[in-house]
Amino acid sequence: MNYGYCNKALRIDLSNNLIKKEKLDEEFLKKYLGGRGLNVRRLYDEVPPEVDPLSTENKMFIGVGPLTGTLFPGAARVNFTAKSPQTKILGDSNTGGFLGPEIKFAGFDQIIIEGKADQLSYIYIKDGEAEIKSAQHLKQLDTFETQKKIKEELGDNRVQTAVIGPAAENGVKYSGIFCNMVRAAARTGMGLVLASKNIKAIAVRGTKDLSARKPDKFKQLIDKMDEEIKNHSEYEIRTRLGTTQLISSLNELGCLATRHFQTGYFEDADKVSGEYFEENYKQKEKGCFACTIPCSRYFEITKGKYKGLKSEGPEFEGLAGFSSRVGVSDIEDALYGVDLCNRYGLDVITTSECISFTMELYEKGILTSEEIDGLKPEFGNSEVVFNLIEKIKNREGFGDILADGVVTAAEKIGRGTKKLAMHVKGLEIFQADPRGIKGYGLGVAVATRGGDHLRSEPWFEFSEDAEEGKRRFGHPESAFRLEYKGKGRVVKYYEERCVLADCLEACKNTVVNMEIISFKEAAELLNTLTEYRFTPEEIKKSAERIMNVERAYIVREGIRRKDDTLPDRFLNEPLPEECGVSAGSVVELEPMLDEYYKAREWEVNTGLPTESKLSELSLDKIMLDLKKREII
Amino acid sequence: MYDLKIVVESIEGFCDLPMEIGDYFTVSGGKIEIPEGKHMCLWALQSLMPVLPAKQRELNEENDWIPHTKRFICPDPNGRVIFRIDRLDPKTGKPLEEEIEIPPRILVNPDACTGCRACETVCAFVHTQSFNALRSRIKIEKNEIKGEDIPYICRQCGDAPCIKACPVEALSRSPKTNAILVDEDKCIGCNKCAEACPFDAISFNENNVALICDLCDGDVECVQRCPTDALKFDNKGGRKK
Repeated sequence: MNYGYCNKALRIDLSNNLIKKEKLDEEFLKKYLGGRGLNVRRLYDEVPPEVDPLSTENKMFIGVGPLTGTLFPGAARVNFTAKSPQTKILGDSNTGGFLGPEIKFAGFDQIIIEGKADQLSYIYIKDGEAEIKSAQHLKQLDTFETQKKIKEELGDNRVQTAVIGPAAENGVKYSGIFCNMVRAAARTGMGLVLASKNIKAIAVRGTKDLSARKPDKFKQLIDKMDEEIKNHSEYEIRTRLGTTQLISSLNELGCLATRHFQTGYFEDADKVSGEYFEENYKQKEKGCFACTIPCSRYFEITKGKYKGLKSEGPEFEGLAGFSSRVGVSDIEDALYGVDLCNRYGLDVITTSECISFTMELYEKGILTSEEIDGLKPEFGNSEVVFNLIEKIKNREGFGDILADGVVTAAEKIGRGTKKLAMHVKGLEIFQADPRGIKGYGLGVAVATRGGDHLRSEPWFEFSEDAEEGKRRFGHPESAFRLEYKGKGRVVKYYEERCVLADCLEACKNTVVNMEIISFKEAAELLNTLTEYRFTPEEIKKSAERIMNVERAYIVREGIRRKDDTLPDRFLNEPLPEECGVSAGSVVELEPMLDEYYKAREWEVNTGLPTESKLSELSLDKIMLDLKKREII
Repeated sequence: MYDLKIVVESIEGFCDLPMEIGDYFTVSGGKIEIPEGKHMCLWALQSLMPVLPAKQRELNEENDWIPHTKRFICPDPNGRVIFRIDRLDPKTGKPLEEEIEIPPRILVNPDACTGCRACETVCAFVHTQSFNALRSRIKIEKNEIKGEDIPYICRQCGDAPCIKACPVEALSRSPKTNAILVDEDKCIGCNKCAEACPFDAISFNENNVALICDLCDGDVECVQRCPTDALKFDNKGGRKK
């Protein structure tokens, strides 16, 4: 019987057609908890800096956590980790849906994919066994069709799949991995890593038992959390609108990414908002595995030119990406843009950045229509948006320039456009403007996978609870989004909460944004669920350890303090007049960075983890590796 | 043969005839009588028609649903006028007190189901201490592309065709909750009950023992964990979004 953990990893060597099972011991599981933790430690050990992300030496790690597959609300998640072909540093992306639990029921905590298949294939894992099957017939199929075909040919509707779309097969650097239609591990080009291994999909079916060491106690803890969730002030809006609530709320704060961050206020936000969507398109709520906060939505467009378009979602990042960020005011156009990305298997954040970047260059006269295949990419022109998505997917014409991400595009275009590329460490940033949310700005600047908000989600800065700010982070200012003091500590704290969520493989809605469980409750849960003993301090330490492994990994790839920065616009161009309270804001990053490194006990000047910190976290092997390479 | 009184008991929608609560007519033998000043909707009457002779007759079939099924709804989905058919005591002409309280069972609304499968997970866990959905007595069938999520679960039918179909008497009713109970030692896994089930609600575990909802002895875990009202524990019919 498996209790929380299966204590087992599956290693698939595609080049040599070898499939073997590896035992995961107690020490490794306790030190790295699950999912993201297991993956990043293995990535550090098995994929050194010499490895080209698109070579056969790169490896893909797929990890689930101890809570995955249990009754814990939203513990449905799974992490995909590899060296990123998009950023050349840590590639790591996480998705919900139903795949994670299925991996657990198939008997594994982790799946490792290495080498390269000799032809397009898919991996079928069932109840502890795996086989490689041909996917020649799935070539160039979109993500929806691929998922459908695999279920059909395996004759089991309960098979869960992770697939790539044509964008990945065509070599787009920011192609993702898609599950349950639209659930995407979209960031850092994990889809392309699978494509480089000739893997079109992973199909999983599990019917093995999974239990809790103390079932009654575990059930009691879950019932208590269910109650807390139902009584939470965010519960109602999250089930109604999910993340799309952010369009109107960020717009009100003047920090909704609009026309490529030229402003933080979108005049047509109410036409593309989550509320508008709910009223006109939503048919019902949808949820991930065993989740009591069904924040996703099934929708259908019933008339007009997109009649018959039905899907799940969208999430905030896609909806804002194809509305405010590109200046499109028609929500149906935005929904169609998101749908194209989902079907082709593209990351909506990066795609919308590449397109809005092109629009700004065109608006400023830096790029001419001839250079963009005769297109006229004005802000708001949705036809051009769709056209560019198509070109990116096929890597044709100007799409080929955009298909490596915004940094490479700016390098190819030259003319000082790098300054306008909205990325950190090669990863394009999300749909909120850091100038109006300083803590998020810091979080994005230091995120270990590059410009991404989901590594920290320091929502506390919205709380406006000065007393709590003083109590928790030493400064009342830390509770206010436009203030700076204490943000280093806030980001550190929430980074570790995000690690906890990504290791237990529970949703950040519950663990980070709603702060449903504390480290103490996490320990209680794991102690009733698993065969091992955890203390809250140990779990906290593990979260810090994992952050340090990630930092060590990117430091080994050459990242230093100078790379922990934000695009020029956020540091130097104040938000314009119409952004209300946020108007006039830039991000004064350096003092926050100082505070952050101090909180992390890293070297302030370089951002390098220190020998003593690594030792304290029992990371001596990594410490010695960095010393041997003369990094620390 | 009974005489009948058919009363408008409640109106959940909007009836533009209009029928009003308390409107009634009587049936005596082959004769319909509508009281002076009252009227009766043609379409509602049309749909009630086949039931009237059945309600008039005295039937003594085992598990017969006719005696205690009293409420019928007008076919107009906007109207939702609910008619109650009372059998009248031949001596007094007053309605017979034969209302049987139907014990609550699990009611399903697929339109509200999020497809999360929390119900499956909790059902399996409370019955077997495993989260494995294979052990669940409720099953969610999903079609992600069409957005369909359909819960399959025992409706605890009055006439329980599964009980009748079982060749070894492994199925019985719980005296406490009226739930259908499976005697695991008797069940031979012959699939007869599943074939008889009109709701496709019966599956088998790996020991070939039938899995049928036992209403958790009255403390229905799946309903408690359902985040929407896709599952309800109720004794009413009908489904509302």
